[in-house]
Amino acid sequence: MIHFSNTTRRYTNGFEALKGISLVIEKGEMVAVTGHSGAGKSTLLKLAAGIELASAGQVHVNNQNLAQLKEAGRAVLRRNLGLVFQDHKLLFERTVYANVALPLEIGGFTHAETGKRVRAALDKVELLNREKAYPIALSSGEQQRLCIARAIVNRPSILIADEPTGNLDQAYAATIMDLFTSFNQVGVTVLVSSHDETGLARLQCRRVALAGGKLVE
Amino acid sequence: MRAWITTHVQAIGRALTRFADQPLATSLSIAVIALAILLPLALYVVFANVRDAASRLNTEPSVNVYLALTASDADAKDIEKKLTTIANSHNVRFISRETALTEMKRVTNLADLFTGIDNNPLPHAFAIKPKLLDPATLASMRNEISAIPKVETVTMDFEWAKKLARFIEFAQRIVVLFGLVLAAAVAFVIGNTIRLQMLTQKDEIIVARLIGATRHFVRRPFLYFGAMQGALAGLIAVIVVIGLIVWAGAEVNALAASYGADFTLRAPSFLHSTWVILAGSALGWAGAFISVSLYWRQIEAGR
Repeated sequence: MIHFSNTTRRYTNGFEALKGISLVIEKGEMVAVTGHSGAGKSTLLKLAAGIELASAGQVHVNNQNLAQLKEAGRAVLRRNLGLVFQDHKLLFERTVYANVALPLEIGGFTHAETGKRVRAALDKVELLNREKAYPIALSSGEQQRLCIARAIVNRPSILIADEPTGNLDQAYAATIMDLFTSFNQVGVTVLVSSHDETGLARLQCRRVALAGGKLVE
Repeated sequence: MRAWITTHVQAIGRALTRFADQPLATSLSIAVIALAILLPLALYVVFANVRDAASRLNTEPSVNVYLALTASDADAKDIEKKLTTIANSHNVRFISRETALTEMKRVTNLADLFTGIDNNPLPHAFAIKPKLLDPATLASMRNEISAIPKVETVTMDFEWAKKLARFIEFAQRIVVLFGLVLAAAVAFVIGNTIRLQMLTQKDEIIVARLIGATRHFVRRPFLYFGAMQGALAGLIAVIVVIGLIVWAGAEVNALAASYGADFTLRAPSFLHSTWVILAGSALGWAGAFISVSLYWRQIEAGR
């Protein structure tokens, strides 16, 4: 499902965030990527989402070589991925409902279908009663759950989460990790990065560790 | 296909929402754009009317020869013979003083003024169609005719008509130039509005791109917004011009009639008005397209 083959990511200043990574994540699998800050976790996830491209080697997602896809093709591919960002990337001038509806607007869903799916996603993360609120009125944990609702509203087959518990206390972090487990249990492939060992301990999944841009275990 | 239509309908919806979100700023920029369209449109309408009126004028080259008031009918016949022998003379038409007076009364509505005059104040005259129109030949012709006894004045009336035609031609080019400059201004104003919108919606663009929006998806509402602004401004400009013509038209027509001229101020036709609105819309679209293309890199850098 996600296949890194001798993948390197080098930035224009010469810094290599990833060095010859080879990794296969199978369909329906849940993989946790660990490592200290700067280890290359976020870069790995950005490559998997087609947000950035590999400088060398290849990345395949759903049997598609991302380097061979055009910019629009990678954008369309991302519509079928659920992306959870460490800094949430919420739109504060949009309501909770409108934030979650954004991927469906992009996908060209009808008003009725959008309403149905948004409410289902909000229900899943227990934010249904806050649909008219603005993100500023939500706690950090609620904001992260909102971000997850936006990621799952398209019913993606792959969920990619970058440090989803980075700014949360342990109780909230546990709730978020439990959500990922529940998604994985219904067949969603989950790729999650974190340096929070306590949070990761709740996940019964394969772990890969990065250090200095290389796989170490 | 259904998804394609839905995305376009939603893009139009988002463009309309932007109108509603910033009513004052949007109205002001539409007013500026409307003004930029109004100026060349108004000038075009004025010159189109003048050109129309000028086209009805008799611009047939004609050398007019006025005899002295003392010239008798016999003198006129004698002079007519001499005029027909002039080398550059193609056709000579005699206008008797009686015919001239009748014509003057008809054209200028001055019949009442002439009722109090016992004698006809107009002389016999000839209208000559010249063969050649070059200045040297005409100057020589004028000297030759002026030398004939009892010839009082020789005028070449067609010169003013030619000058008017040249002026209209020149004015039309000025209007086109003016229109092009203001079209660029329209595109610039709309482009700047779109740039400001892009900057205020930078976060939304970045997030949308991250979660799967293509460039087309992001660009579409801005293009529709630009096109709507241009079309609305064009419509306002057309309405204002029609309003001005309705307001001033009656006075202009009355003024023209008092000089005996057959002139009616005409508003732009439905077809012309549609073209102005479409042109405004196209300019808005183009301005938005250029702006989005220029600032796209800036926005993408923040992703």
